[in-house]
Amino acid sequence: MNITQALPRGIGVDPQAMMRYIDDRPNDGIFQVHRDVFIDRDLFERELAYVFGRTWNFLGFESQIPKPHDFFTGHIARTPVLVTRGGDKQIRAFFNVCRHKGAMLCNVEQGMARVHVCPYHAWSYDSTGANVSIKDHAAGDYPKGFESEDHNLKPLGAVASYKGLVFGSISPDVPLLEDFLGDTKFFVDLVMDQGPHGMEPIPGRALYTFRGNWKLQLENGMDTYHLTTTHLSFLNIQSDRRRGGGNQEVRKSNVAGNMGIKTSTFTFPHGHGVLTLENEDPTIRPIYSQLDQLRARVGKTKADWTTARSFNATIFPNMNLSQNYALILRVARPISVDLTEMTSYCLGAIGESRAQRALRLREFEDFFNASGLATPDDSLMYERCQDGLTNAGGPPWLQGYARGMNELKPGGNDWTNEISARPLQNWMGTFKAGPEVMLHEPYREWQRLMDTGLRGERAYP
Amino acid sequence: MPAVKKKSRPTPPAARSAQSRGAPSLPARKSSPEALRDLLDAGRDLIESEAMYLDERRWDDWLALYTEKCEYWVPTWRMDGTLTTSHDEELSHIYYSNRAGLAERVSRLTSRWSPASSPVPRTCHIVANIRFIGAPSQDRMQLRSSWVTHALYIRQRQTYAFFGSAEYELASVSGKWLIARKKVVLKNDYIPSMIDVNCL
Ligand SMILES: [Fe+2]
Repeated sequence: MNITQALPRGIGVDPQAMMRYIDDRPNDGIFQVHRDVFIDRDLFERELAYVFGRTWNFLGFESQIPKPHDFFTGHIARTPVLVTRGGDKQIRAFFNVCRHKGAMLCNVEQGMARVHVCPYHAWSYDSTGANVSIKDHAAGDYPKGFESEDHNLKPLGAVASYKGLVFGSISPDVPLLEDFLGDTKFFVDLVMDQGPHGMEPIPGRALYTFRGNWKLQLENGMDTYHLTTTHLSFLNIQSDRRRGGGNQEVRKSNVAGNMGIKTSTFTFPHGHGVLTLENEDPTIRPIYSQLDQLRARVGKTKADWTTARSFNATIFPNMNLSQNYALILRVARPISVDLTEMTSYCLGAIGESRAQRALRLREFEDFFNASGLATPDDSLMYERCQDGLTNAGGPPWLQGYARGMNELKPGGNDWTNEISARPLQNWMGTFKAGPEVMLHEPYREWQRLMDTGLRGERAYP
Repeated sequence: MPAVKKKSRPTPPAARSAQSRGAPSLPARKSSPEALRDLLDAGRDLIESEAMYLDERRWDDWLALYTEKCEYWVPTWRMDGTLTTSHDEELSHIYYSNRAGLAERVSRLTSRWSPASSPVPRTCHIVANIRFIGAPSQDRMQLRSSWVTHALYIRQRQTYAFFGSAEYELASVSGKWLIARKKVVLKNDYIPSMIDVNCL
């Protein structure tokens, strides 16, 4: 295949060029990422095509569309997507684009509609995506060629769900979703099995942007090293709470005082990475009071991991699932090379008590909101990184991927054995070590997808 | 600090017409136009003081406007475009049932250890359309306002405007009006990086 055919317009062709962006020499103790990965506009356009266009992306929750004809909209990077449950109860995902003039068909985030009518010329589609009306069709003097064309909504290449999480892919050439998720399924299960009737995103929209590249969030999603600097004001507030001051309605955890707690990272095929650590106080989790029921339902190991461990999991490329201050699912959506939109969902058990839900909410709001006490400090650091990275002529290689490399081991360890997971690599140590090694696989997968895209090869042979 | 210009404000039409009819100057009754005007003035003074204290970063003065058991709530909007109605069942931008939560905000804003708050954005609060909600009493009143806060995020060299409406429940405590409850409706909830109490 001619490589130029696979490239977005206006982008130069240099199949060897990709090698310049990740300096991956484990035997020399070197792993570096080139700053252009965060700032280069051409590279960003390739990312949209070769990474976001050719792998699974999180779209939303099945619980958003429980009934026939329910729908929600979203994006894969800049591509608008419509997800529907048809009258046949099947979930489908489409490009949210009218076939007539290309207008975004549905601009409501969530709702119920048997028919989606484009407000421009009233072309209409049912909840299975079938075109049910071309306005004044008979009077339209349409030629045979037009009549023989397909006027239905164009489906995404693939759509599938796992444990209530709906994923889609623009390209049909992707592995089965469960194979893509692999052993990260354990962490999805940990979260999504906590409610006896399932889990749901708690109503209320938490949407914000930061003026930085999406990968800054990907990295931060598993970064413990920054906690004692970036979040020092939050840690001080927490120590004050432990002394009985401040807002006593939220938790008083003491991460900074427990820098020795056992911490481990795992990486999995397809670019996923996980950071796990001991939870200093299992009783603090809203689920703790129902631990016995949970053990009976999902088994002791899984149940105990919901309270005795914290984790931050990155589902490549841009989804983060965490169990720490709250249960949070976040998506970092790239809009441009230096603008990212964040959607955060606070997850709660369907049908849980008001008190339990209130506790989850207060913890989530305390830390994760764009109006919280911690997340804004992260977002502002991403912006500061973007500003620093953009300086031409500065040091091209970033040195933020080496912590933990001496202790990086192939395969699993005690913790992955507990959960029968088979990681590519693991690292085990203390929280204070602030490992960075779980970022290697996401970047290797990023490079692999970019390379195969550039060369016009299949993403998943 | 600038003196509170209670007297310079135009007299509400209702009160003016009462005066023009030559109504006798009686001690203000609970529902007399004069009493209502005085209450509204007191409420407006409090709301404008809050705006000014935040703009001038007089954090302790700002906190002192709230009762210890105050409720401070900034609800989020649902995906369907309606405002959330239950802070215990739906997500809020901020929810506190006590002033200690607000005090924590202040400690963060002034700590120099928060990258998002160093330096604290420069703000200009504009409040208007201050009206009663329901009938006030001598020691309790509810008010609504419309507000705009312009903010310069200094390091980012970005200027944003946040806007919305707010509901206040004011309580008279030892002869001083304080905020017992504030609900802020943030209408532009597509948030650029961050927002804190000083920008609401
Ligand atoms: Fe952070």
